[in-house]
Amino acid sequence: MIPTRHPPEELLLDYAAGTTDEAISLALATHLTLCSICRKDVALAESLGGALLEDEPGAPLSRDALSKVLARLDASDEDAIPVSSKSSSIPEPLRAYIGDDFASIRWTNAGGGTFFKQIFRRKRANVRLIRSTPGEGVGFHTHRADEYTLCLSGGYTDETGCYARGDWQTATPDLLHRPVADAGEDCISLSVNYAPLRFRHWGIALIAKWFGF
Amino acid sequence: MNDTQSGLPVDMTALLATVGAQRDRAAFEVIFLHFAPRVKSYLLRLGASDALADDLAQEAMLTIWRKAELFDPAKASAATWIFTIARNLRIDAIRRERRPEFDPNDPALVPENEAPPDTRMLKSHDDARVRSALTKLSADQAQVVRMSFFAEKPHSAIAKELGLPLGTVKSRLRLAIAHIRTALDGGA
Repeated sequence: MIPTRHPPEELLLDYAAGTTDEAISLALATHLTLCSICRKDVALAESLGGALLEDEPGAPLSRDALSKVLARLDASDEDAIPVSSKSSSIPEPLRAYIGDDFASIRWTNAGGGTFFKQIFRRKRANVRLIRSTPGEGVGFHTHRADEYTLCLSGGYTDETGCYARGDWQTATPDLLHRPVADAGEDCISLSVNYAPLRFRHWGIALIAKWFGF
Repeated sequence: MNDTQSGLPVDMTALLATVGAQRDRAAFEVIFLHFAPRVKSYLLRLGASDALADDLAQEAMLTIWRKAELFDPAKASAATWIFTIARNLRIDAIRRERRPEFDPNDPALVPENEAPPDTRMLKSHDDARVRSALTKLSADQAQVVRMSFFAEKPHSAIAKELGLPLGTVKSRLRLAIAHIRTALDGGA
């Protein structure tokens, strides 16, 4: 199944240009594994990079650069090319961070049928997995900065619509939403935030602060 | 691309495929002479010192030699493939970050299923079309595309530098992508 909700094109262009940080790149690469449409967009943007490279005037290299590189060619011949083979429903770029299956993850229970797992925090970026049981989810909130969510398993619904495996959501700061996991199975999403969420309910806000949401 | 003494254009993409298939050193030297200075100037634009840009350009050339077998001329041109190698080296060496990428051999990869394999897939011979489409962008659009590739700046910083609202920068980028896509789709 091809996802129906995609990252904005200018974000894919930034990924192709090499400007997006590791957090967004991880979410985008995971989406790309599941989405051939966006893979084509990234290929298009990379070809722009190729065209710009071709048009570069060129800066002369140090005089011995070519001979130095030629002398190193033989030594570099033996490097093995990595192959991935393990079968898993978790796309490869994410597997390198969280392992082969969701079941072996040590989740933190945030209460109200919602669990999370911190993947990494770097600079302002906070990358987490969020798991909600059917009918549950993170309470009403807005954002202090854009929030990116990629649905990995199950599905969720909020004020903007339904999201299934592979679907991408960009939540702008002004969006007030309450994502709720769809019936049937737990919903697991990858979430990238650049600032703590703003919760409407003071009780949830307190718990969220405690858990570092 | 007049790199030979005869002045005839050299097909870098075919040459790179030869490097991959036959470990052809002579072909590699031609690739080096053409691309190493371009990779260096790309790195200089992104703020690398002359010494670092020189080292990384050499490193990029070694990576090209090592990975040439993986190069598929049906999927990308030499310039595009080499751009991605230079980009990844820069992220690794200058930003010291990982760059997550999808793996085409990942069992979890969802393949393209409904479109015939040759539609909209970029081919190396589209390269000339991409370049000509790039020259036909409006000055405003070309500027934000160039800044995206050469300034390593988030859109918000580009907007600030140009004194534009963020939404304007984003919509110019989207328009630029749409123009290039149309140019490629149109001339099949």
